Amino acid sequence: MRAFDRFAPAALGLGGFILFLVAVEILVRVGVINGYIVPLPSAVLVALGRVVAEEGVLPRFLLTAGESLAAGLLVAGIGIPTGILLFRFNLLRRATENWVAAFAAAPIVLVYPLFLVIFGRSSWTIIAIGTIAGLPPVVLKTLEGFSGVRPVLIRVGESFNLTGWQQFRTILFPAAVPTIFAGLRLGLIFAMINVVGVEFLINFGGLGPLINELSERYDMPGTYAAICFVVLVSVLFFLAVERVERWLRPAS
Amino acid sequence: MSGNQANLKLQPEPAAGTAPAILSVDDVVKRFETPDGPVVAVDHMSLDVRQGEFVSVIGPSGCGKSTLFNLIGGLLSPTEGRISIAGEEVRGPHPSIGMVFQEESTFPWRSVEENVAFSLEVQGVGKAERLERARHFIAMVGLRGFERRYPTELSGGMRQRVAMARTLAFEPKLLLMDEPFAALDEQTRLLLGDKVLQIQQELNQTVVLITHNITEAVQLSDRILIMTYRPGRTKRFVEIKLPRPRTSEIVGSDAFGHYVAEIWNDLREEASKGMHDQETMAERRRR
Amino acid sequence: MATTGVVTGAAPGWRPDAVTLVRAAIIAAVLILWQLLAISGLLYQDVVPPLQAIAVALIRLLGSGDFYANLWASLYETAVALVVGGGAALFVGIVLGGSRFLGRAFEPYLYYLGPTPKIIFFPIMIMWFGVGPGSKMAMGALSCFFPVALSVAVGMRAIPPILIRVGQSFRASQAQMVTKVYLPAMREPVVNGFRLGFGIALIGVLLAETKLSNQGLGFLVIQNYQRFDMPAMYALIIVIFALSMLANAGISRLTAPRSRRGGAH
Repeated sequence: MRAFDRFAPAALGLGGFILFLVAVEILVRVGVINGYIVPLPSAVLVALGRVVAEEGVLPRFLLTAGESLAAGLLVAGIGIPTGILLFRFNLLRRATENWVAAFAAAPIVLVYPLFLVIFGRSSWTIIAIGTIAGLPPVVLKTLEGFSGVRPVLIRVGESFNLTGWQQFRTILFPAAVPTIFAGLRLGLIFAMINVVGVEFLINFGGLGPLINELSERYDMPGTYAAICFVVLVSVLFFLAVERVERWLRPAS
Repeated sequence: MSGNQANLKLQPEPAAGTAPAILSVDDVVKRFETPDGPVVAVDHMSLDVRQGEFVSVIGPSGCGKSTLFNLIGGLLSPTEGRISIAGEEVRGPHPSIGMVFQEESTFPWRSVEENVAFSLEVQGVGKAERLERARHFIAMVGLRGFERRYPTELSGGMRQRVAMARTLAFEPKLLLMDEPFAALDEQTRLLLGDKVLQIQQELNQTVVLITHNITEAVQLSDRILIMTYRPGRTKRFVEIKLPRPRTSEIVGSDAFGHYVAEIWNDLREEASKGMHDQETMAERRRR
Repeated sequence: MATTGVVTGAAPGWRPDAVTLVRAAIIAAVLILWQLLAISGLLYQDVVPPLQAIAVALIRLLGSGDFYANLWASLYETAVALVVGGGAALFVGIVLGGSRFLGRAFEPYLYYLGPTPKIIFFPIMIMWFGVGPGSKMAMGALSCFFPVALSVAVGMRAIPPILIRVGQSFRASQAQMVTKVYLPAMREPVVNGFRLGFGIALIGVLLAETKLSNQGLGFLVIQNYQRFDMPAMYALIIVIFALSMLANAGISRLTAPRSRRGGAH
């Protein structure tokens, strides 16, 4: 009964997905769907193997991962101190918190031509966009983490006569860590998405240009396969980041 | 009707009046499948309610009262047995049955009159007519002047009256209520009881009330069905022969006190079984 | 917000002024720094143009009919994207939110596909819908589908079960349940989902325009880049940010509680 409850939905999800692919395969084969714009799923599957084997996927992946990591480090290095600064100076926080939130909702990626002017078509442009896209959630979550520390914990610290720094190091920071990690996860994901997107847009770097190259060759199955590959890599990246966050996050 | 016969042996006389039964619950069983095996919530219960009669079902928490409520209302279907309203079998929510729920159930995005007009709107009654009919029932529950207010602006007792007016506007043959005043304080509850008595009189409304409150049951009912604790069975019926029309003043009378004592006598045994059961469950969870 | 009232009880009305002052100071500092940087010539004049150049470009931009034609093109594409993608998402969200089983079967796919970079699907969209506005609308629709569907599904599950039982007890039909119970009860998450969806659809449309297009605000941005007209590019980006924030605030206002509006009678 319980096993059924757990596995039946997963089976239906996967089964539905496979059934969809089979249906597309049949519709293309009988000519209901135009085979020139939608390649056979089986051909895409074959092309996926070819793309992985022939298109230098590993160095591309490493380049994209490196850019994402650089952006992620910058996000953490700038975002967390900014969050702490805003927490420490309440007036500054009240003046700018809404700005940060509004910035998070703005179409930040769109400034990539600006960075093209500054850095040219280089990894720096990509890293810059990844960084500013990842910053807002880290700043806001850091702020939330520190302001969410239960007052009773702070009073405990005061009762032990802790200095300001001791209070921060032994009470505030550890209590805020889980929320900060949640922010970092979001920031890293935002950075990664924007890195891949800008790579594609400026046709420079690792995984993004792969799609451009194959579509410019009018390699239909190859283009689809490359997109599937990049989506797969992103999903695996999200899963990994989620896992790492859960692993690092202290029990709460 | 054999199950009913058995119940009738326990009590001297069916309720006064000779009107035919409008609601008939006939030998109903409800079993739930749970991870710990099947649980019988309602066990071979039977109940006939005549037109204009006010019947309360009383029992300790966890005795299956709410299951019985959902069965009669058609939100659950019985494992065995049959429920019928005015001769028609209940196989889902029935147009002759209006339900008032225990929980806060007004729609927060609708004003009082829009809430009350909801059932008419569902039936496709035109806007002008349904609002006019809604206003009639709003006045009946004593909320005239609050038609345009929203539920968040009202007290809990007022919201529960909105829910009642909404169900009355459905013009059901049977008004089915599940502890509608449970969340209210005792004094508000007594006063709302007066309102219910007055409306029931005015509409000659048939009512089935599910409750765990003895005072409320005696104050309002013609007949009280006492349920056993797990599995939920009919322990016995008590006929309340207090004069009508009644008001909450009757709470002070000797006869009232006598009925309360009589019912508590029956209920105490069941309630302590329930309490004991919950204590052992808590104990088990602790380990 | 409520606590500040207690703290500042002695000097009411003084603190908000401080916030405004700090904001003004920050803005002034940024502008002055910018201007100094522009005058000093430490960076290329192109990258940091003086403020007056940006102001002139801004006035010229807002005065040109070309800008409004492109603005209209982008807004139209975004609106169609939101209607198509958001409409499909609303339906999917209601179905997945209404059934625990279907939700558990298919929501993980939405959850993990949601944040993948959508722009990489652009080559496929061009194949399917051509190089014109169709492919931009498709990009926007694809982008906004995921966040709207997820927030509708979550909102659907947050509806108090009692309200659903009330609807059933009055024998509301399935369609009536959707229009009279489900949708009003989850207005807040639905509006929030569409607010998020609007921003994301706008990004999808504008990014697609920067990649391949001959109209729209994204096209204008890339045109300015190709001409190295930096003041015009800054002006354009300022306007786009302002518009997106305005739209965001506008949609947020739709979630204001009904009772306050009703109280005006």
